Amino acid sequence: MQLTIEGIEEVLRVVRSEGETTLDLRSVRDADPFGLLLLELLIRQQEDEGERLTVLRPVHPPLIQWLQAMGLFTRPGLRTPAPDVTDALQPITPIENEDAIMALVDRFDERLAERYTLDDSPRFTLIRFMIELFQNIPQHSNATGEAEDPHGIAAMHDFVDGVVLAIADKGVGMRKSLSLRGEPFETDADALDAIVLQGLSRFVDPGRGAELLRILKMIRSWDGTLAIRTGSALFHHDPTRGGDIYDVAPFPGVQIALVIPHRVFGIEETQGERDAPLDVEGEAWFNGADE
Amino acid sequence: MNREVFQISQFGRRVGTRSEGEAARAQLLQILESLPDDGQLVIDLDGIEVLAGSFADEVIAKSLGLLISGVYGNRTMIVSSPSEELTEGLSDKLTQRNLAMVCVKTPKGRAWRIVGQLAEPHIETLKLINDRKKTTAKELAEALGIPPNACHQRLKRLVELRLILQDRVGVSAPKTLYQFRSIL
Repeated sequence: MQLTIEGIEEVLRVVRSEGETTLDLRSVRDADPFGLLLLELLIRQQEDEGERLTVLRPVHPPLIQWLQAMGLFTRPGLRTPAPDVTDALQPITPIENEDAIMALVDRFDERLAERYTLDDSPRFTLIRFMIELFQNIPQHSNATGEAEDPHGIAAMHDFVDGVVLAIADKGVGMRKSLSLRGEPFETDADALDAIVLQGLSRFVDPGRGAELLRILKMIRSWDGTLAIRTGSALFHHDPTRGGDIYDVAPFPGVQIALVIPHRVFGIEETQGERDAPLDVEGEAWFNGADE
Repeated sequence: MNREVFQISQFGRRVGTRSEGEAARAQLLQILESLPDDGQLVIDLDGIEVLAGSFADEVIAKSLGLLISGVYGNRTMIVSSPSEELTEGLSDKLTQRNLAMVCVKTPKGRAWRIVGQLAEPHIETLKLINDRKKTTAKELAEALGIPPNACHQRLKRLVELRLILQDRVGVSAPKTLYQFRSIL
């Protein structure tokens, strides 16, 4: 079990499909912002639904340190303000209203630019992506008005293979959002296909939508990875396997990850992976719901 | 031609969200309204680092949609940009709306290109009109080597999109004679 784009599905399956009330993360050694955001949303969702979930923390010290630097998570809440000095590129950040988005985008960009000298063209393209992806949360995550707390969050980190940007919410998801067009979609996979691959939006206005399709095209040209999850469907594209839609364990909202290779930004690949894991006994670290 | 410049940089170097764009559109339309009937609004992207598609759609594409609906008379709008890359988001949104605009290169460039969606034959016709500044359908059909009907169809689309202007120059029964002129 890992807290990564590829590994988080097992976590979700164990809790959401198999109904496990204890999530044992003691053997986890790898994590990325996508896995991190989904873990936070999972814990919150279980809490919202009144479901008990005990999480046994990872024991690998560098990973624990990184999780804390990213702002995840100490009792009693899931998240505490990240320390000012941290090796997290951009800790978990809430996205709540549209007015604050440009400042958030600037903050993400500054964090990346503080660490690296970036080529302008990909840097500005990433900023455009962030503007569109971040504003999707206030614009779409509670389109039907039925989500009590869509809880939009974003985070970013750099790894040996590239920069990972993740944006996630536990709102109404793509299928319900698209239903506002008056054209019901039977499955989450259909809705995901319509939005990501056909550029549809919940608005009939022809100027709306197609941003995820544009992002996909750019990610393809960069040889990057794109994961978009909604409900029980996951679109996953990477340079090796191409893109496809998969059935996954149901989870509310929309969660997105972009992996952009360093060379796209003109970054030399100097950032190392986290250290090798330590085999120490895990301990109960926190509970998402009641203890 | 009475020209007015609308600087997008007044809203920041990086723009932006739909709500920001909506507010900016109100300002743009106010200026457009204040122009004389044949006035032109130049939307200047100089000083901008990032123009997000959402902002561009709200400010520029939606305003162009209103303009071509005829509510602003013969007024025209063009974009002025230091780079092609900067207009990518705008071009995507115009394409989604089946619209097109003339974009001139800044600073003080004479070069122009189309942002948005315009078929190649229409671009070819537009080039000729922009080169000649003023011309008639007959002259264009001859120069392009196409039948008059085909030329009329192209001109109709270009006028509809406010990429050129047409002036009535006389009546030769049973037809009205028009002259077509560049907006540059």
